[in-house]
Amino acid sequence: MATETASPVGEGDAFAGVGLGDGRRLLRGAVGVAAFLLVWHAVSLTQDPFVLPSPVAVAGAFASELASGDMTAALFQSVQHWIPGTLAGTGLGVAAGVAFGWSRLLDDLTAPLVRTLRPVPPLALIGFAIAWFGINDWGAAFIIAVGAFWINFYAAYGAVEGVSEDLLDVGRTLGVRGDLDAVRSIVLPASMPGILTGIRTGLGRCWMLVVASEIFGVPGVGREIIRASNNLRVDRAIAYILVLSLMYLLVDVAFRAVERRALAWRA
Amino acid sequence: MAGVNGDSSLAPAEASVALDGVGKTYPGDGDGGAVRALDDVSFSVADGEFVCLVGPSGCGKTTLFRIAAGLTEATDGRVLLDGTEVTGPTTDMGVVFQEYHLFPWLTVAENVGFGLERSDRSPAEQEARVDEMLDLVGLTEFRDAYPKSLSGGMKQRVAIARSLAVDPSLLLLDEPFGAVDAQTREMLQRELLDVWASTGKTVLFVTHDVAEAVTLADRIVVMAADPGRVREIVDVDVERPRERGNAAFAEYVGRVRELIGAGP
Repeated sequence: MATETASPVGEGDAFAGVGLGDGRRLLRGAVGVAAFLLVWHAVSLTQDPFVLPSPVAVAGAFASELASGDMTAALFQSVQHWIPGTLAGTGLGVAAGVAFGWSRLLDDLTAPLVRTLRPVPPLALIGFAIAWFGINDWGAAFIIAVGAFWINFYAAYGAVEGVSEDLLDVGRTLGVRGDLDAVRSIVLPASMPGILTGIRTGLGRCWMLVVASEIFGVPGVGREIIRASNNLRVDRAIAYILVLSLMYLLVDVAFRAVERRALAWRA
Repeated sequence: MAGVNGDSSLAPAEASVALDGVGKTYPGDGDGGAVRALDDVSFSVADGEFVCLVGPSGCGKTTLFRIAAGLTEATDGRVLLDGTEVTGPTTDMGVVFQEYHLFPWLTVAENVGFGLERSDRSPAEQEARVDEMLDLVGLTEFRDAYPKSLSGGMKQRVAIARSLAVDPSLLLLDEPFGAVDAQTREMLQRELLDVWASTGKTVLFVTHDVAEAVTLADRIVVMAADPGRVREIVDVDVERPRERGNAAFAEYVGRVRELIGAGP
């Protein structure tokens, strides 16, 4: 009966283009980085180290901070802000985004509030962080959570709004009844690509917010960057900035793998 | 049962589905006045009958389809399914759309089983029913594939299997083969007739393709536009399988085309 041709489960296409083309891209990337380091080094020779330290000096600072254990300690402290902040902000943001994207009533009730609060940068809420939580890990986590919340709120909200009315119609003809059933069985899976993109964006953004969240004196990588800058130790500041970049990269690569798995159904 | 109110007084005794004076008016906005999309549409489909609905574009075929399926509310009249008024979607009607609308995150088997999960069948019964449906549409070997890797014709087979799985008494299809190539369309038509013959379902099939209607239907409801209404109901008295080269076939096609093109 099935005389048409189609590949079962469509394996293969995901890895098309890996191979020679990919190796060339890696090589080009390496050349770009090497050129950048050379130019940086050349320029740094003409400048004072507190204006622009050489890449060698930065590498030295990185090594000594790592060896002293200061860097791992700072990273460990920042992770203690990043994890609860990201978890709480992501969870609340996705939940609120799905609820407000799905329910017209909730959306209408909260629209003015949302539009007023949305432009407030997380950093502007430092006063509240101190007042509500104090100068401690929870205060820093709060700042991060606010940043994660909005990214995830809007990603989930948009994804839910974009769910096809036709799929919901099909669901109804197949016995889907009530908001909870519709959200669980159709809205959530259909908007998962958008929600996951929001989560991934939020994970990265939260590493950037680590600096802001520690600006008022909570120890961590962000605090080290600010302190090094205040002491004109630009090499140390850059070394700690690199820590944030590396963490961002690590989390992003890991999450992309999760995303690919979760969205294997996608064309 | 969800979406159906008890009321059997006015239904023709043997009708599976009856449309009784169905009308639809879309309220006007600003400069344009209200639009009468459907006016006093009445016809019924007997138990086990195959009825096609044809008409010129803009005659409200799709609106009528959605009203029959309980997805859109009629302004006037009502739809009766086995004597009870339809007030919303119900699992007693299997609905198939032109664009398939498969759930892309579910495999073929999971799509077919979607409605079964909400029935009172045990997991073992559900699985057996999914297998049975996949066998019916010839997609057993694709049970674990995602819709993205299927051709249009295969997707529509999955959609048909999905709608039949919950064992509705009526199958409603809106131009289901409109998006596939001519060769696949003819194959799917034959398959649908086989499924109809083996399951004994009542079928209401919307199409703009007159030859398709003559190939499939026991009766053809021909609609006219502005406002959408029933122009005539044509009994197709030709033995199945129907050959397109056949003189009687050509005569029916000519007659239905004439009715469609006759103007308001």
